[in-house]
Parts: sequence; C-alpha cells; structure tokens
Amino acid sequence: MKEITTTKRGVMNKNLLGRVKASRKALIAAMALTTIASMSIIVSNGPASAASKKIRGSVSIWAEWTSTEQQDFKAVLQPFEDSTGITVHYTGKGSNMDTALDAAVAGGSPPAVALVPDPGTLDTLAAKHAIKPLASILGTETKNFGTAWSTLATYKKKLYGVWFKAANKNTVYYNPAVFKAAGITSTPTSWSQLLTDETTIANGGTYAPVSLCTDIGWPVADLFQNLFLKLNGAAAYNQLATHTMKWSSPDVTSTFAEMAQLVGAGGANLLGGMKGALADGSWPACTTSVFPASGSPTAAMVFEADFLTSNVPSNYSPGNGSSCTLSATASPCYDTFNFPAPSGSAFAGDIQGSGDVAMLLTSTPQSKALIKYLASPGAADIWANLGGFASANNKVPLSSYPDTVAKADAKALTSAKAFVFSLDDLQVGWEPQLWADMLNVLQNPAASNVTTVEALMDQQATTALGH
Amino acid sequence: MTSITAEGPRLATAKASRHRGWWRRNWVSLAFIAPGIIWLLAIVVYPTIATIRFSLYDESATKFVGLHNYASVFSTDSILTAFKNNIIWVLVFPFFVTFIGLMVAVLTERIRWATAFKAIIVMPIVFSTTASALVWRTIFDLDPHVGVVNAIEQTVSDWFSTPGAYPLNSAIGQTAASLAAFNATGGTAGTVVSKSAVQPGGTVMMGLTRISSATLQTLGAQTPVAPQIMAGGIAGLVWNDFSPSQTSNTTTIVSDEHGLPNLRLSLVNSTGSSVASTVTNSSGDFSFSHVAPGSYHVEILASNFQTSFVGTFWLGPQSITPTSGLNQTAQSLLSVPLIDLAMIISYIWIWAGFAMVLIGAGLAALNREVLEAAEIDGATEWQTLRRVTIPMLAPVLTVVFVTMVINVLKVFDIILNMAPGSSQGPATTLALSIYNDGFTGGIHSGIASAIAVILFILVVPAMLWNLKKIKGGNS
Repeated sequence: MKEITTTKRGVMNKNLLGRVKASRKALIAAMALTTIASMSIIVSNGPASAASKKIRGSVSIWAEWTSTEQQDFKAVLQPFEDSTGITVHYTGKGSNMDTALDAAVAGGSPPAVALVPDPGTLDTLAAKHAIKPLASILGTETKNFGTAWSTLATYKKKLYGVWFKAANKNTVYYNPAVFKAAGITSTPTSWSQLLTDETTIANGGTYAPVSLCTDIGWPVADLFQNLFLKLNGAAAYNQLATHTMKWSSPDVTSTFAEMAQLVGAGGANLLGGMKGALADGSWPACTTSVFPASGSPTAAMVFEADFLTSNVPSNYSPGNGSSCTLSATASPCYDTFNFPAPSGSAFAGDIQGSGDVAMLLTSTPQSKALIKYLASPGAADIWANLGGFASANNKVPLSSYPDTVAKADAKALTSAKAFVFSLDDLQVGWEPQLWADMLNVLQNPAASNVTTVEALMDQQATTALGH
Repeated sequence: MTSITAEGPRLATAKASRHRGWWRRNWVSLAFIAPGIIWLLAIVVYPTIATIRFSLYDESATKFVGLHNYASVFSTDSILTAFKNNIIWVLVFPFFVTFIGLMVAVLTERIRWATAFKAIIVMPIVFSTTASALVWRTIFDLDPHVGVVNAIEQTVSDWFSTPGAYPLNSAIGQTAASLAAFNATGGTAGTVVSKSAVQPGGTVMMGLTRISSATLQTLGAQTPVAPQIMAGGIAGLVWNDFSPSQTSNTTTIVSDEHGLPNLRLSLVNSTGSSVASTVTNSSGDFSFSHVAPGSYHVEILASNFQTSFVGTFWLGPQSITPTSGLNQTAQSLLSVPLIDLAMIISYIWIWAGFAMVLIGAGLAALNREVLEAAEIDGATEWQTLRRVTIPMLAPVLTVVFVTMVINVLKVFDIILNMAPGSSQGPATTLALSIYNDGFTGGIHSGIASAIAVILFILVVPAMLWNLKKIKGGNS
C-alpha cells in the first residue's frame, strides 16, 4: 500500500511539471504498479514478505541526459527507489559522457552503472574488463531485445549492455497537408517512388520537395548513410564504417549518384536550390520551412532522425489525418515515413540510428538490481509514456507511446532486421572532415569531383584510423 | 616580480643569516603579491605549460608522440584553410580599420556635435560580438526580404530587368523549357512553343506546370475553358496542367486546374517570323483573328519568364578566385572567400570606434604649432594630413595597427556566429579550429593544443613589440 501512495506522488510531481497529459495519468499509474509488481520478483528472488524485499543502500548511475531528459529518467528511477529502498544517485554528464566515464575508470572510481551513447565505448571497456557480463544477472530479461540490439551489446560472445534508449535515423518527416496539396495520397515505400513524388511536388510549383538540412555537413552525412544502408545493406555499411571498404568503392560512388538524383540537378529539388540549402540549412532552421510556427509551409519533406519531433512546433499534431491543413495556425500535422529502399531490396529492414547502452561497472546487489530494472519493460514504459523516447525493448507495448509517430518509430526500432550506428560518429579523428567532404559532393556531384573527393576521404580515413 | 627573479641566484649562494634577513625585509611585500603570483601561476603559467605538454601527446594525453600533432596540423586541409583565412584577416583588417579610424578621427575634429558622433561610432564595441555578428548575418542574408544588402542589389537589378508575370526560379536553375508539359516545348532564347502546327480555323492547347499557387492567385487565374473553333482565326488556351486530384492526367483539363492569364504570346509562321501577338485572358484563353492561310505555331514570349532576382550569397562557401594564367594551387591560395569580406566589413564596423578613440587621443596631443606652421606655409588639408599629421601620429597608428593584428589573429566569435553551418568550414580560422578540434565532436586535445601553441608563437612577437612600444611611450 505504501508503494502505491509514493507512486501516486511521483505522478503528481510530473503533473506539476505539466508534462503529462491528464488522459495519460491513469495509464502511468497502472504502468508504475506493473513495474512494482515486477520489481518484487527482481529484488527478492522468491516469495517473501513485503517488508523483507527492501535491499536499501545506494547506487550511482551516470548518463548523458540533462534537463528535461534528466527529469524523465528520474521518473523512471522513482518506482525502483520506492520499492527497493535503494537510493539512486544520478549524474547527468551531458555530451561529455564518454570522456567523463573514461577518466573515472582510469581514476578507479567509476559509477556502478553507466549509460553511454555509443557501442565503441562498450567494446573498449569490455576489453579492459572494466564492465561485467550481464547474461546471468538479467536472466529472462535478455529476451526483451532483438538480435540486432543484443549483437551491438556483445563483446567476444558475452553480453555486456542493455540498450535502454534508442534513436532512429531512418525517418523522413513530411507535412501531410503539403503532400495532399501536391496530390500525393500515400507515402513513398520505394526509392523510385520517392523520386517520382519529388517530381510531382515540383510540378505542383508551389512547394519545394525537400528542405535539406546541411549545417556543417552532419545532416548530409546522415542522408548519405541512410541511402548507403538501403542500397548496400548493414554488412557493407559496417565495412565502410571501419574503412575495410574503401570510400572509392563503386558502392559509395553509386550512393553519391543516387543522392544527386534526390537533390536534383543544381539542387532543383531543394528549397531555394543549392544556395538556399546552404544558406538556410543550419539545424534546426531547416525544419521550419516544412513545419513553420506561423504562415504556410514552403517545402514538403525534411530528412532527419526521430529527434526532429522536438523541433516541430507544439501546435502541430502527429499523424496524417483528414483534418490536416496547410495553415500553421489552423490544424497542422506532422508525420514520418521510413527512408525507402529500392523496391525488392533485401535491406529495407536495416536501420541506422543511435542509442544509450547501460553497463555494469561495479557488481553490488544494488547495481545488479538497477541494471535488471533498466532491462525490464516496466522501466522503459514509464519514459515511453512521457514522450520523446523510443525503446529497443520489444516487450514495451506500442500502446505505451503517446502518438502514432512515436509508435511507428518504436515499431521500426524494435523490429529492425539489422541496426547500425551512425557511421560518421565512428570516424574518430576525421569526422568534421567527412562532413566537409559530404558538403563538397553535395555541391558538385560530377563524376570527376566524386572521384577526387573519394580519394581524399580514403586518405583522411587512413590518416585518422591508421589503415 | 622583478625583485624575486633578481634575488633568485643570490639567494642560492647566500648565507643562512642573509637569507633570513632577506625574508624579514621582504615578507610584507611578498605577502601582498603572493595572491597575484599564485593566481598568475594557476591561470596563465600552468595552462600554458599544460597546453605545450598536451600538444606533444596523443588524444588520450597518455602517449608521447613528439611533433606528430604539429605534422598533422600542417597536413590537414581544414587547418590549412584556417591558416589562409587568418592571413587574409591579418592582411586586410588591421590596415582598413586603422585607416578608417584615422579618417573618422581627423574628420570628427572638424564637425559640430563631434562628441555625439564619436559616441555613435564607438557604440559597437559595447555590444557583444555575438549580437553584432547576428545583426550582420541578417544584413547579408541571401533572401532580399531579409538582408538589406541583397535588397539593395535587388532594387538595382530590377531597374535593368523587370521580372515577368511568371518569373523562373533561377535559384533552382529553372528554365522555360522545364515548364512545358502538354503540347509545348522549349523554343529559342527562353521561349515556349506549341509542339503541333495549327491552321486558321484550328485550336491550340498548351499546358505548363511548376506555376506556384501564389502566382495564380496574384494574377487572378480562373478555371480554364476549352477553346472554341473560330472561323478564319486561331483560338487557344494556355493552362496550368497540374491537378492535385489527378496528378497523372496531363492531357485534358481537370476542374481544379487554372488558366494562365497575362501571358504575352505571338503567332509564328512557318518561316519563323512573328505575324501577330496577343495576351491571354484570366481563363488562359486567347485568339488571333483574320489569320492568313498557312501553318503556324504559338510562342510564349521569353519576357513572361524573366527570372526574379536571386541574392548574392555573401555568407556562402564560394570564393573570389583569380582565373587567368595561374595553376590550380596558386588559384586556391589566392582565392578569397566572399564570406571573409563580409565578416571583415562587420568586424571593421565593430572596431573602427576603438581605433578612432586611440587615434583621436593621439591627435589631441599633437603639437599644434607644427600644424599651424604647415597652414601658414600654405599646405592644403590633404598635404597637412599626409606630410605632417600621419608622420607625427605614426607611433599611435602602429600601436593601433599591431593591436588589431593581435586582435584578428585570434578572431573567433564573429565567425562562429555569422557564418551559416555550411560556411563554417570555408570561413574557419585558427582560433575556431582550436575550439572545433578541442571541444566539439570527437575531442582532439593534441591537435587543438598544437594549433594553440602555433597561434601563441604567432601572437607573441606582435605582443612584445607592442609592450615595448607602450613602455617606450611612457618614459
């Protein structure tokens, strides 16, 4: 009974923060109850009286999340603290997470549990024996994650991590009302259909097919990566990521050629042409022409990862309903579709993205209980309800997500046939140069320039990666 | 500070009693300067040594790599670009800012309300560079509706070529031919001509696409009406052949399509010369009456599609490159990114006031007798300035110049805030490279430290020279 009241208090707090809609209140309370029910199994390993279930003590956990995400993650931890009596000390390290953890491990005082945003750190720490294998600790919870995700958390055949939060870079955001105005009734499911739809939108004359994010080149790299993955598959993608495949390979060249088609000659498919894309393509300004806060949209689509949702103004509602209008002040909508693969491609289910993986650095009853909790669907469920979150945990019901866009996103993630990490983030030492090279090819996709840039990229990769 | 270093060697050999005596004499002064010394050691000396050390170590700062990071600095394209941009800044900015500062200082001596005028010129120094950069970013914006520079260019451009009723979007490289959809094709010199020939008594229908709904609305376009046969004449229709409800229908008129009004047409005979001209009505219909027998084509004149102005991409990655008689390396070395010029103009706006104040102070301290002597000898204003004022001001001018050289060697915030993402690379400088390599994305403390050391070495001579000059001025 005590647990229930404290949980309710937790919900009340979230209400005070104004982030939980009234309609979701009951659902969250129910979720928290379910979580507590499962908690009792985790922490007691058998039927025991309610009082003796408490482990107490404390545990430290680090992750990159700060501000809103930090509040959401604390809401995830609350039921765990309440039911086990364990005090969780959370530290949000921001974008500094990898460096901070590295230093803490070297200094001999790491947190008990840490979530890092890349699989490379997991491999490095596992090689140093700084993290503990999880298979025996997690037990049946390991089944909550698909093969693509388990593979990414495995080092030398042992499972070392739990992918708690995931991000999907496979998404294309579009304004349904603009699609409708251009006469497109269904979203493209193949690469050629996407190109055809671009022409249709351009023929309409009113909207530019694409508002391209260029920024310092990273959104172009994301676009290239999506295209490369869909054309060549995860195996080739991973070879390119480790530079065992050369940038001068025909697979890369053909991807650049397809990218040029998407962009159109001289940027014909882009809002404001190539100049406009370079001038106004800074993140997140590039999203405002598709989802303007006032007035009418000027472009139909924008390519970026699922975190784009947080840049869509709040008056936009998710989904592709019949009531969607072109006016930003009437009832505008936003929706996504999966970045399409060529029709009949075997790689349509391959997904590119990123995520946060939880690892166990010190083994105590408290830390073991915490990581097992993070692997449970109940923990992910709480954040799923709060929004701005996708889980790789396939036991989290899609109904937990607040809207259709988030549902589709989560479905794509959990059912991914293969999941690859954003390739540019793995290019330690030359990532900014890779971005500059992407901008170069974008502006001049002529075969001779592509050859020159590819040779340069091979040289840069060799210098940075040592092979 | 001087007393400690001077006493240092003596202390080492001194007897214990003298040692104690020294401490007794100086402990009060030492106690007073100790906080300052500790502060300097902690925030200047230690970081400098640590930076030099980092520059000789690998990324994890654990493995000694010698001068490897320095080799990387000089072989990385993006850092070489930074060097080039720094050179451009140093060559252009200090000269112009000193020159403009001098001009303003000399001229404000001769006007009423000089103080108010000076206050306005000095004001930009008070603003944060970030704010100034954002203002100038807007001033140079590509869109003439936003950026005032392009708005001026547009006004001038429109005097010479007025955009047509259906201006092509030259930003996306649109051509008249790309508009042709049904029974239409690109003609000579930007015209669109009907594909099929027509005789008197016949009708012509031409469909165009890629016409924006805003244009149709402005022109009051009505529902298209199929042309009626006209004895001895040619009737026709030009319409926007795009229907949201039937996107694939490109051969017939659909109810939600529009006629294209205000199009200037001419009737061209088989030898290619124009025999009649007309303008389409609000439903896109037109007619030529009393046409002599023969075979004709309808031509939509190029003036209808005269492009609208597209702004100069001042903040873009393109460069002003000398083209003639140079090889590629020389060209890339001599090319000046347009954005560098835009940023230098903005930076002059920020710093001209500072130059003016220093030079103005120098002017006030000038020996008036010499100036009066020049005036009595009949020197013109210009001669006085060139032969008397500037030589006498030379010490002040060089201090301003060198201060500005130091200032732009470390130029940073204006670039970070003024250049759009896509131009950050082409516009980068050494200071910005330190930040990007050392603090964003993958952290490369080794390379960033190496650049910092190089920048330090570049700044030190100018700084020492300036210190000497200022000290010399005092004595």
